[in-house]
Amino acid sequence: MEVKLPNLGEGAESGTVVSLLVSSGDTVEKDQTLIEIENEKAVAPIPAPAAGKIGEIRISEGDSVSVGQVILILDDGAGGGDSSESSDSGESSSQGSKPAAPASSGSAPSGGGPRPGGMPMAPAPGFGFGFPQGMSAPAAAPSNLPSLHDIWIPGAVVHSADSSAAKAGFSPPASPSIRRTAAELGIDLMKVPGSGSGGRITTEDLKAYVGALHQAVEVLMGHLQAMSAGPGAAPAPEKPKPKSIDFSQWGEVKKEPLSSLRKTISRRMTEHWNDIPHVTQFDSVDVTDLNALRKKLAPSYKEKGARLTMTPFVMKALVQALDKHSVFASSLDEATQELVYKQYRHVGIAVDTEAGLVVPVIRDVDKKSLLELSAELSEMAEKAKDRKLSGDDMSGGVITISNQGAIGGAHFTPIVNKPEVAIVGLGRGAMQPAVVGEKILPRLMMPVTLSYDHRVIDGGTAARFMVDFVEAFKEFNEENSAA
Amino acid sequence: MNSIETEVVVVGGGPGGYAAAFYAADHGKKVLLIEREPRLGGVCLNRGCIPSKALLYATHMITEARESAKRGISFQDPTVNLDQLREWKNGIIQKLSQGIAGLAKRRGVEVIQGRGYFDDGQTLRVETEEGQQFVKFEQAVIAVGSQSALPKAFDLGNKRIMTSRGALEIEDIPEKLLIVGGGYIGMEMGTVYAALGSKVVMVEAMEGILMGADKDLVKPVVTQAQETFEEIRTQAKVQKMATQGKQILVQMEHDGEAREELYDRVLVAVGRKPNCADMGLENTQVQLDDRGFIQVDDNMRTNESKIYAIGDVIGGVMLAHKASKEARIAVNHILGDNLKPESFIIPAVVFTDPEIAWCGLTESEAKQKDIPVKVAKFPWAASGRALSFDRTEGMTKLILDPDSERILGVGITGPNAGEMIAEGVVAIEMGATAEDLANCVHPHPTLSETLMEAAEVFYGKATHVASPKRK
Ligand SMILES: Cc1cc2nc3c(=O)[nH]c(=O)nc-3n(C[C@H](O)[C@H](O)[C@H](O)COP(=O)(O)OP(=O)(O)OC[C@H]3O[C@@H](n4cnc5c(N)ncnc54)[C@H](O)[C@@H]3O)c2cc1C
Repeated sequence: MEVKLPNLGEGAESGTVVSLLVSSGDTVEKDQTLIEIENEKAVAPIPAPAAGKIGEIRISEGDSVSVGQVILILDDGAGGGDSSESSDSGESSSQGSKPAAPASSGSAPSGGGPRPGGMPMAPAPGFGFGFPQGMSAPAAAPSNLPSLHDIWIPGAVVHSADSSAAKAGFSPPASPSIRRTAAELGIDLMKVPGSGSGGRITTEDLKAYVGALHQAVEVLMGHLQAMSAGPGAAPAPEKPKPKSIDFSQWGEVKKEPLSSLRKTISRRMTEHWNDIPHVTQFDSVDVTDLNALRKKLAPSYKEKGARLTMTPFVMKALVQALDKHSVFASSLDEATQELVYKQYRHVGIAVDTEAGLVVPVIRDVDKKSLLELSAELSEMAEKAKDRKLSGDDMSGGVITISNQGAIGGAHFTPIVNKPEVAIVGLGRGAMQPAVVGEKILPRLMMPVTLSYDHRVIDGGTAARFMVDFVEAFKEFNEENSAA
Repeated sequence: MNSIETEVVVVGGGPGGYAAAFYAADHGKKVLLIEREPRLGGVCLNRGCIPSKALLYATHMITEARESAKRGISFQDPTVNLDQLREWKNGIIQKLSQGIAGLAKRRGVEVIQGRGYFDDGQTLRVETEEGQQFVKFEQAVIAVGSQSALPKAFDLGNKRIMTSRGALEIEDIPEKLLIVGGGYIGMEMGTVYAALGSKVVMVEAMEGILMGADKDLVKPVVTQAQETFEEIRTQAKVQKMATQGKQILVQMEHDGEAREELYDRVLVAVGRKPNCADMGLENTQVQLDDRGFIQVDDNMRTNESKIYAIGDVIGGVMLAHKASKEARIAVNHILGDNLKPESFIIPAVVFTDPEIAWCGLTESEAKQKDIPVKVAKFPWAASGRALSFDRTEGMTKLILDPDSERILGVGITGPNAGEMIAEGVVAIEMGATAEDLANCVHPHPTLSETLMEAAEVFYGKATHVASPKRK
């Protein structure tokens, strides 16, 4: 049986082999970790799909491997050789003769590892494109590549060769100048959905189609590059080559290659920063009483194996504010120019690890108790530290909390985690003189900031949100917070 | 020996040829235009579109004046001065052709009067009155057009047996005129002569006249012609002609009956043949189809890579505007545009009274090719404008894609149909739907409203027609 790199989730298409835990001849159990892959978001263990004996190993540590690529051969006693894994994407006899050829994702192991998920829709301005079902990952041969036919504009009419117009020899409805432009671009208008009356193709339709084509090609090129690039090949460059500066001319230096996680963070942050017009709102929450409550309750939580920190309170307060201001749990669908209001309340928690920032997501925060949240938070933190978060663990958030309280510092301006539209940043609570009634009292003040996407949210809305968010902290009491 | 070098040589100065020459010159090419006749403009200008329309206009006055009587305005019977009429018509031709010559000059297109003959794939020999000239070209465009076909059996060397060319010269008004061929040229010329007072008999071998157009569009024209012509005989065949004194003795078969009749003149309008039989194409790779028309690809290029052909000489619908469009396609290719040209529709107009005009898909073509369509018709009897000038026999119809409601074809019968059809062309080429047309405000009272109302008929809500709801 060929063991192939399964889908890593969240659009990650490749990763680096950080550890090879088996060698040829080893006997392994089902679900035993074979290798660890550092993908763009975490280190993922790749488990054995079945028990058996390791045959040929086709990768080594440090190799860059892509989804679907054969990692090693596992003799699972089924006598199956190559044929035990078959998928419907057309790979067949050529498998054996092309050892390095990555194959379809149909062979994702069951159990243990991350499950193959659908390729996320890459949003293009005014457009989207998808891959046919079952093609969530690059396939073996170019003939298996997703067809560009699948490009669509939501709501637009796709032309049919069966229409009377087509039968009468007419090209799809479009003005002569648009037809001419399409011809110049080598575009078959039959494939360009039209949004005008009767499916007429407008200039915008054509532009959107070209944009999507362009994007699809980039994704495909990425796949192809990942497929054809041999072991150790670097990911595709994204920008014109930057020039190196020789810092050693001013003194001693030490160099370290960027980890793939660091590269991902760098790419995403740039993207988010560039795409989203950020505004950051500042405030402080008086958590004197809440902190006292937390300290009081902590032992009972500890008894139940959980550590009660400030974060679950923040999460609870946050989802309350979200319920009043649902736009903060929305996403902008650039393809349809719609706001998508998410009715679920999954909250991302930015976790600082040795390797860099990761954002695990806690599901259904509104439905969970403080105790459940505490437990889950420590579990996620643990996983993050061990770099064992799966793609699934890190997707689906509606808003993110970045809490630096444990470290120190006050206000800061976090970057919105696209496609979310807001992020909350928490600083370290500190005793400060505060005006309470007529008096100035020392109070424990926690700095709170809120960065938001000004495309979607205006300042007034953000201010109201902040007020309600701060207000929500007052509602915790012994009764509703007990373990 | 005289040898000239040029980038582009265009052979034939008709609406295809001069358009090609001018367009190429406008794009910086050095262009030579070869025309064997002393005047530019080709058939269209000298003995086709323009003179026929001029005569139709002039003689229409006669009919109009007669019709006017029933509206209480009467005229005396007109007197016709044929010489003056001819002179007026030739004056128009003269003016236009001088205009074209002037345009050529201003663009730096050199015109050589002479007959073009290909010595090989890059040399054109031009036979002029002063002798031969040899043109070495980078590209040649053949636009030599077509001429009326005159079957051997009718070619007696008798000038009373005419083609359209002779008929347009109106040497006299024959008392009895036989027109062989019920195509648009026969119908238009028949209209002219009938108005001038000839007794016109039209003979057509097929089962109907104006076979390209939808029957319902043709019907009002036939009804009118049956009144103004002496007779229209379909499925009739002229077998033989003979000179008998100053007349022509014609033998024909009609309704299984052999007839022999005497006519003062006969117009043979049975089709046109390409002018490329005797121009040295055998010295090149240019290929002809089985009817003698030049074969070209989508970009108007012949089998000989440097030689293009456009207009009547490549067959298809033989209309001036088709020739001009093809001129642009050929020149674009010469200029380095290698794209397959976009498809286009060619409107057709028959300038009879009433006129017929259509473009895009016809109802009969849809039927024949089994293409499902919906048809919306607006009868002019419901048009105030049509009533105001007493012409209610007309009709405007739209051929629609049943699903998208896109306009695939437009057909119009009635006075001014030729002017109105352009809106149909724009609508079709823009991919417009019936709804688009219905939503565009048309001025009242005009015939153009019938296009909008036909679209409204489709939705069952035309203001001036009560029709069952369709949607
Ligand atoms: C009576 C009549 C009425 C018509 N009415 C209409 C109408 O209303 N609307 C419409 O669109 N069309 C009409 N047509 C058709 C129209 O005239 C032709 O489609 C059009 O002229 C074709 O243009 P062309 O450039 O291909 O060729 P042409 O106009 O035929 O021009 C070809 C030119 O090439 C010249 N030539 C030929 N051989 C050589 C050679 N070897 N060397 C040099 N020169 C040569 C000829 O002298 C001629 O001037 C009518 C035609 C006729 C006969």
